[in-house]
Amino acid sequence: MLREILIIVIKKFIHQFASPKTYFYQVNRLYPWILYISISIYISAIIWGLFFTPKDFVQGHSYRIIYFHVPASFVAQSLYAAMAISSAVFLIWRVKLAAYLSRSIAPVGAMVTFIALVSGSIWGIPTWGTWWEWDARITSTLILFIMYLGLISLHNSFNNFEKADKLFSYLSIIGFVQIPIIKKSVDWWSSLHQPASITISDKPSIDPSMLYPLFMAMIGFAGLVACIVILSSKVQIYIREKNKNWIKDYV
Amino acid sequence: MESSYLIEANNLAYKINEVRLFTNFSFNLKAGEALHIRGSNGSGKSTLIRILCGITPSSKGKVNKKDELVCSYLGHKNALKTYLSVRDNISLLGLSDHESLESLLSLLDLSEKLDVIVANLSFGQQKKVALLRIFLTGADLILLDEPFVGLDSNSHDLLCKFLEKKLHAGSGLIYTSHIPTGISSKDISLD
Amino acid sequence: MNILLLLKNEGLKLIKKTRAWLGPILIFILIMVAFPLTVELTSNNLSDAFYPVLFISILLVMMLATEGIFLEDYDDGTLELFLISKNSLSQWVFLKIFMHWLLIGVPISLLGAFFNLGANNDLSSSIMLFPALLIATYIFLILFCFGNSLSLTKGSALGTLITLPLTLPILVILGKLNTAIIFNINYFEFLILIFGVLSIIIFAFPAIISRIIKTHLE
Repeated sequence: MLREILIIVIKKFIHQFASPKTYFYQVNRLYPWILYISISIYISAIIWGLFFTPKDFVQGHSYRIIYFHVPASFVAQSLYAAMAISSAVFLIWRVKLAAYLSRSIAPVGAMVTFIALVSGSIWGIPTWGTWWEWDARITSTLILFIMYLGLISLHNSFNNFEKADKLFSYLSIIGFVQIPIIKKSVDWWSSLHQPASITISDKPSIDPSMLYPLFMAMIGFAGLVACIVILSSKVQIYIREKNKNWIKDYV
Repeated sequence: MESSYLIEANNLAYKINEVRLFTNFSFNLKAGEALHIRGSNGSGKSTLIRILCGITPSSKGKVNKKDELVCSYLGHKNALKTYLSVRDNISLLGLSDHESLESLLSLLDLSEKLDVIVANLSFGQQKKVALLRIFLTGADLILLDEPFVGLDSNSHDLLCKFLEKKLHAGSGLIYTSHIPTGISSKDISLD
Repeated sequence: MNILLLLKNEGLKLIKKTRAWLGPILIFILIMVAFPLTVELTSNNLSDAFYPVLFISILLVMMLATEGIFLEDYDDGTLELFLISKNSLSQWVFLKIFMHWLLIGVPISLLGAFFNLGANNDLSSSIMLFPALLIATYIFLILFCFGNSLSLTKGSALGTLITLPLTLPILVILGKLNTAIIFNINYFEFLILIFGVLSIIIFAFPAIISRIIKTHLE
């Protein structure tokens, strides 16, 4: 008896929270806050990192592109994980908002992965002498980029949205296997990439004066990308719910 | 709640891409009853039959079936392998050893066609081979979507006789048809 | 329907469609026979280039072999019938993939080991290559079937392009297996690795593919 009540309460909560209308209005309220806070964090991190940190012993000034490259690749992988979780929520609990979210994350993820690849290439020229190398991490990040593009093209090729959402979710969950591959590939195969400087257990091997702006840059960049995801999800809601009355009133 | 229905639908609704096909559709079918679903083209008759089979989920409402209900379905597609012969298709369905196979084949004028590739048969003949499946597998509920299209009058009468026999034996029947049949059935319209 | 009957059915269907199973095998033979012609006669690189060409041609041939694998049954209504008769769709998918592997994957693995004999004159490496090819063809078959099921109604090109990224890690492992075979180190470790990957996906993917096909049927 108690179990049934609990299940009904949880379902009501999920369905209330997961209404696109509630999400839309809440997100509109939060958006300016997130935007301005992220911009300030990111810009201060960049200024700190670019001008106020010491030169690296080996790489000189060229290492500073780390403040663009590392946040981008970290966010690219986290976005895929978020998309996979959102797809799982959609498949298990049939929450349509989760499907809208995953669909809106895909193009943003593709863009961020592209930034990571390009900034990595630019970093590669002074450091390794080459702008491309088929080592494990670069190849698996390229695979991540292609997966994002594949997901977008899969969703766009179906007219029936419910079918497209379900197929998108299945593919994104299966593709999740590449995230551990990217993270661990540097350990498993010897490659040009350095091993992870920041791990959960050990002391970080990177100097603290470079570490703090890096963390700040990661947080700021994540916030900025979250803003873009919010905008993208609003567009998705416009497209998919355009026949509903509350959209017509809003517009 | 104990009830003698074979299949029951409560407030079925279906919409695709925000376009509603039908709403608030309910019915109740008991053993030995036949239901004729009417509607104009595009009103959702075939989709409704697919919802009742269990292939397509409805947007709203529920379909309740009796436990262990065996369904038999024939729709627009014949489920025949066109590159195999009639004999091979029958063996694919596992019906080669059925006792009534020989008599049914001669009744349907298909005895000489056993080794013909299905692609070389006419539309009506292919339909008759597909109907073999309905005739030979025992089912509690038979769902037919435009079954009489393409059949000559002999086969039409054969099908009607078979369906009435099944109804007397306690099966249920749900069908759509633009062609009038002689079967006494409840009518329900989707428009 | 029980498993044996299903297996017999799928076998019958595949065998009768001769170009579906013979085509990929002939294309594989064509590629493997044609590639030495592109290498200079006096070059010593024949054996270096052999393994990459072998693995890539197996990849492509498996891609071809899965073209339209589910489309035929989807189009003529057999799948709907199967679902309504309350049969297990994932069992059917598993047996279909298994039949394709038996009729296409196993001959190609044999031929691949045979061609290796011709290119490298080394019997032991062929014997080591054969089980690896058996496992690799099955893995590729499963992955491409997954892609094919995703784009069931839109043509197989989209689906195979989407799953091509998933096959790249397997190719990397095959490359490492290649060095393991040549230098005879760590061979069993890599064989167990791809066998492990196969054992995870061999039952999981048919279940997922059957869900995807059910989504298409709706």
